[in-house]
Amino acid sequence: MTTTLRRNDYALSDEQDQLVAMLRSLFSEQSPISVVRDAEPLGFDEKLWATVRENGLLTISLPDSVGGDGGGLIELVLMGFEIGRAAAPVPLLDHVVAMRALGRLVDSGVELGSFNWESGLAGETIVSIAPISTWELGAELVPSGAVARAVIGFKDDAIVLMTRDSRAPQAPNDGGSPLAWWDPSDPAVQVTTLLAGEQAAQLWDLTHREWRIATASSLVGILASSGEIARAYAVERQAFGVRIAQFQAISHDLVDMHMDELTSRNMTLKAAWLTENEPEFRPELASMAMAQATRAVLRSTAKAVHVHGGMGITLEADVSLFYRKASSWSLVGGGVRRDLQDIGRAIDRRAGERARWHENNAIVKG
Amino acid sequence: MDFSQVELTAEQQAFEKEIRDLLSTSWTPNYAHIALDHDRSPDSVRLAMAKRGWVHPELSEGEGGAGLGEIEQEIITALFEEFYIANNANNSLLIPTLEQHGSAWLKENILPGIRTGELTTCLGYSEPDNGSDIAAAKTRAVQDGDVWVINGQKMWTTWGNESDYVFLLARTGPIEEKHRTLTMFLVPMDAPGVEATPVWILGGGRTNVTFYSDVTISDNYRIGPVNEGWSVMSTPLATEHGAGVVTEGVVPINGSMGAGFSRTFEKLIDGAIDWAASRKGADGRSRLEDPLVRLALAEAMLDLEVCWNAEGELGKPMAAEALAANADRLADMAAPEGILDFGVDGSIAAGIIASERQHAPGSAIYGGTTEIYRNNLARRLGLPRPY
Repeated sequence: MTTTLRRNDYALSDEQDQLVAMLRSLFSEQSPISVVRDAEPLGFDEKLWATVRENGLLTISLPDSVGGDGGGLIELVLMGFEIGRAAAPVPLLDHVVAMRALGRLVDSGVELGSFNWESGLAGETIVSIAPISTWELGAELVPSGAVARAVIGFKDDAIVLMTRDSRAPQAPNDGGSPLAWWDPSDPAVQVTTLLAGEQAAQLWDLTHREWRIATASSLVGILASSGEIARAYAVERQAFGVRIAQFQAISHDLVDMHMDELTSRNMTLKAAWLTENEPEFRPELASMAMAQATRAVLRSTAKAVHVHGGMGITLEADVSLFYRKASSWSLVGGGVRRDLQDIGRAIDRRAGERARWHENNAIVKG
Repeated sequence: MDFSQVELTAEQQAFEKEIRDLLSTSWTPNYAHIALDHDRSPDSVRLAMAKRGWVHPELSEGEGGAGLGEIEQEIITALFEEFYIANNANNSLLIPTLEQHGSAWLKENILPGIRTGELTTCLGYSEPDNGSDIAAAKTRAVQDGDVWVINGQKMWTTWGNESDYVFLLARTGPIEEKHRTLTMFLVPMDAPGVEATPVWILGGGRTNVTFYSDVTISDNYRIGPVNEGWSVMSTPLATEHGAGVVTEGVVPINGSMGAGFSRTFEKLIDGAIDWAASRKGADGRSRLEDPLVRLALAEAMLDLEVCWNAEGELGKPMAAEALAANADRLADMAAPEGILDFGVDGSIAAGIIASERQHAPGSAIYGGTTEIYRNNLARRLGLPRPY
């Protein structure tokens, strides 16, 4: 065994900084909180979707070979940060992750059946992904499933494409998210098997990891917004003659929320870079980013509500809106325990490394 | 952004092999040595390292180092971790202070040994009546011609019983003027009137109360101007807190204490994995396949990854609290064996979990409590000072 070292550089390039600035201004102008509220209960805004399409956001993270602009997962994560920050009611992340998977299939010569690639590329047909299909057969709740006409999933060890001609009805949920049941046995759903075997399992694993990373990035955006809202309130609001941010009971919670945001952000960037550049290295990082962002967004938005006192639980407070979005955006993939189950691959790898180390080294045991 | 593996040069590979050979011949790994952030290297290892300029390898050869870069330093750190050797010589905090503020005499006579690591130091900040509130120090230094006479008492002088010098904060004016009447000294621990009394702490470690009774030292031992001790002291404190540690290289982003605690945490997980791999359940299968064990281990591994991603000053409170929470988690996972002492038959990786569960609470206290860190972080977020 020899020592290996890795770089720890989280800095964005100038181009990536410019992309973030462009996205921040686009979503703050086109998706203010009033747009988010008006889009409920479905959680989808046609006009904003049109803006997203016109601004070319759907092709940034698709490869040139299938008609994209050649960007990758990191650009998608940067979009996720800004989408989450605005709680923007568009299925961009699910759509692009699904299109990246379909693009890989196209690149390896797989026919997509009746699916119209150009229509997906333009965002006329919204595509989504069924993360739960990794573990469960039959009907399942699909993120963005109430606006998508095509859903990529994994059934019976094969990658399948489910399509329907009409929208599936939304399954009402506490965050106003376009969740819907998709049932392969429903006559309205056509199921096409695209790829089976080991190659399919690997491609699905990569797709599922990309979805976890993209989704985690949107949660980082929610953490950023809810943290800013809570800090602004705490330095403004007075109680007992002082600003409530002067109480350590409040300020320490605000610091913890900030720690949650920054660690989740760094883990998402790191997972994105490594998944893109070295997909074989530590594949559990995607689940780690997703698990951390999920537990962080659930507890931190709850703290953000609490800092507001009674105002926090009113529906008119912006902070309560982010609290609602937090659960429906984070738990649609099956929850933290599923992520922890996936992190199990790291246990097995480390156990192997330890066994090899013990073969070559003595250790005092008392 | 870049998380790629560093391709080591032929020289770096040779360096890695040389130090690996040195460590594997002069030291046998020991589960008991997991407080990598805190414990001092064994003298045999420290002196062997000092001879080669590897205690502070970043210094030039002329200065007692080896003129090595970030990569070589990280190789040393990684190998010390692999071989369960604590890597705390404490001097790295003091060197910049002595270089900047030390008297000509100190720089000529003491600094060289501190740089090589042949001389060791400890910190004399806290007192019985003040901990995090350092500027309330009462230990007094009074000038008498060319010498200073020191009287007082310091707490938590870890390594005070086996260090050559203490970096001492003393009061040199009216106490009402708080941080404006403090002065720093480097006091020889063998000076008459210095006494270190042991205080035994959770986890079996030793720290000390140190007493200073009419300790008389030359003005040569003063560090920096009289009554400027506050700014002199902040030089190493900033290093210890990991403030401003921004890197684009291989150094972890979570600051020196955050990284140290994270390495200890890593050893805890390794010990838990070693234990699970060595045990079988009633069904005859390895406990590594037990879903309850896997859940606990996965949660611990997740927390560890969070620690590595907590930048700068976030690193310490994050890692200290994760260490304590996960020592509890893993003791529970391996209950009841998880509470057996070090070296006891049937204990977890020779007691690594029980031992760390005892040690962990201290990591959230020494070097500044996690509350002090949160106050600092709150100010950086633009929040007002506490009420």
